[in-house]
Amino acid sequence: MKLVASCKISNQGVFLNSKLVPNTKSTETNWKKELYTKTGVTYPKFYKMDALAKLAFLSYSYLDKALKTESYADNDIALLFANAASSKTTDLKYIESYKEKGSPSPSLFVYTLPNILTGELSILNKWYGENVFFIEEKFDPEFYLEQINFYFSKGAKGVLAGWVESNDTNEECFLFFVENNGNELTIEELTNLYKS
Amino acid sequence: MSIFITYGALITPLGNTTVENFNRMLKGDSGVSIIKDSGFNNEDWPLGMIKSIQDENRYNKLLSDLCHQLIKEHGKGLFEDEKTLVVVSSTKADINALPNDTFASTRKILNDQLGLKNKIIIISNACISGVLAINTAVDYLHTDKYDNVVVIGIDALSDFIVYGFQSLFALSNEPSKPFDKERKGICIGEAAGCVIVSKKRLNDSYAVNYLGGSSSNDANHISGPSRTGEGLFRSINKTLERSKVGKAEIDFISAHGTGTNYNDEMESIAFDRLGLNEVPLNSLKGYFGHTLGAAGVIEVISSMKMMEHNIVLKSIGFEEQGTSKRINVLKANLEQPTNIILKTASGFGGGNASLILKSVL
Repeated sequence: MKLVASCKISNQGVFLNSKLVPNTKSTETNWKKELYTKTGVTYPKFYKMDALAKLAFLSYSYLDKALKTESYADNDIALLFANAASSKTTDLKYIESYKEKGSPSPSLFVYTLPNILTGELSILNKWYGENVFFIEEKFDPEFYLEQINFYFSKGAKGVLAGWVESNDTNEECFLFFVENNGNELTIEELTNLYKS
Repeated sequence: MSIFITYGALITPLGNTTVENFNRMLKGDSGVSIIKDSGFNNEDWPLGMIKSIQDENRYNKLLSDLCHQLIKEHGKGLFEDEKTLVVVSSTKADINALPNDTFASTRKILNDQLGLKNKIIIISNACISGVLAINTAVDYLHTDKYDNVVVIGIDALSDFIVYGFQSLFALSNEPSKPFDKERKGICIGEAAGCVIVSKKRLNDSYAVNYLGGSSSNDANHISGPSRTGEGLFRSINKTLERSKVGKAEIDFISAHGTGTNYNDEMESIAFDRLGLNEVPLNSLKGYFGHTLGAAGVIEVISSMKMMEHNIVLKSIGFEEQGTSKRINVLKANLEQPTNIILKTASGFGGGNASLILKSVL
């Protein structure tokens, strides 16, 4: 499998193919909204998204510049996502809605599933391919490479893979896109890309 | 390579073993009952609650009970084997553990009780998790690393889930009636089920072959089903292709059928587009309630029982066609040769998944 591009975002900035995109580091608690205005993308749905979906959307907005996904058929791109905390941030907000704020919030409840972000990315790109969301204790490059190979063996032409985490101490999203040809992406390379 | 699936274990509102469950299903019993004060404003919602669980932590108790049953039925050797992998399907796991890790107890209980040698794989992909978990198990068997994959589907009742579906106005105030004209919504349920997916036939009990499976996103809406059934249509087409099965060979469809207006309508459109209108079909949500992450697994177990006994169970709650496209929802149990079946699932996030099984004669 060939790595086409990767993008990692956090309040430490946007690292597209391991290189810091200028002016993307932020000290704001609301850094995701700040970054959204910097992308120059207009997508009003962004404001309705929860933290996980926003992280995935923002990271994809940068990654997209380095991809040529138009050449793929709408069934050919598979999504492979994982994190450790599931939808914890939104789960807690939703619980707060019925324990402290009077009634359970339907708009929060629909985001209490981590895979909603794969739906958001599918809607954004009109992709009808395969999707899966795993809960893993930490980013495990070997796990990703194995799962990506499963997708390729079943006919996917490209895989958008991601680790998206939102918990009390950390907000980050690491995305990478691989194609089913070319040099093998190694565990070491993937580990280094994630650490960037 | 042939892939075999055998019964693991099953705990639902209807019973505590696979056999007990199926005997009650044959009689047309439902595990859904009115649960007092279960709603946010103390409404009495009909739910699929396992009455024997009295513990404060329903999820951990359910998982622990499932482990006991697995060891009783299969011994410990299978689980302690280095070539055995466990794949878990759950949407919310131990949700009451928040703000701590809601999936920590899953790993701990399974490791402690089953003595596992490999990292546990967990899928949390809304209501299609169970079907995805079985599809993923098969992926792993195509590597040399594993001989058996134990697939566990589990979700427990919680205020979190009941209040959430209530807030979406998706709950039914009477036992759910999937595909019926008078359907009003979902009854939430809880269950734990397990199938063992293997390279070789595990024992002499009944087995099926897994022929193929797939998933597809609707790319339409995060919480509403596609109006054209696009994702489900595509997933079934892909699964038929991978299984090398023709539509005419399908004896029975175990549909998702939640009992909401939009979901059941969407499914009927997808089945109609595929020309599967005449194939006997049911939703098992009337027996157990909608058990979310457990649903795909427990519905596969129930479907295997139907295949074993060459009978297709009726779809509880269905009386009159309530979808714009006519499909063959069963009002009464149907005895017929049931060799090849299609299982489907759809869920939030626009996910759809399906798989095809064939009876081992």
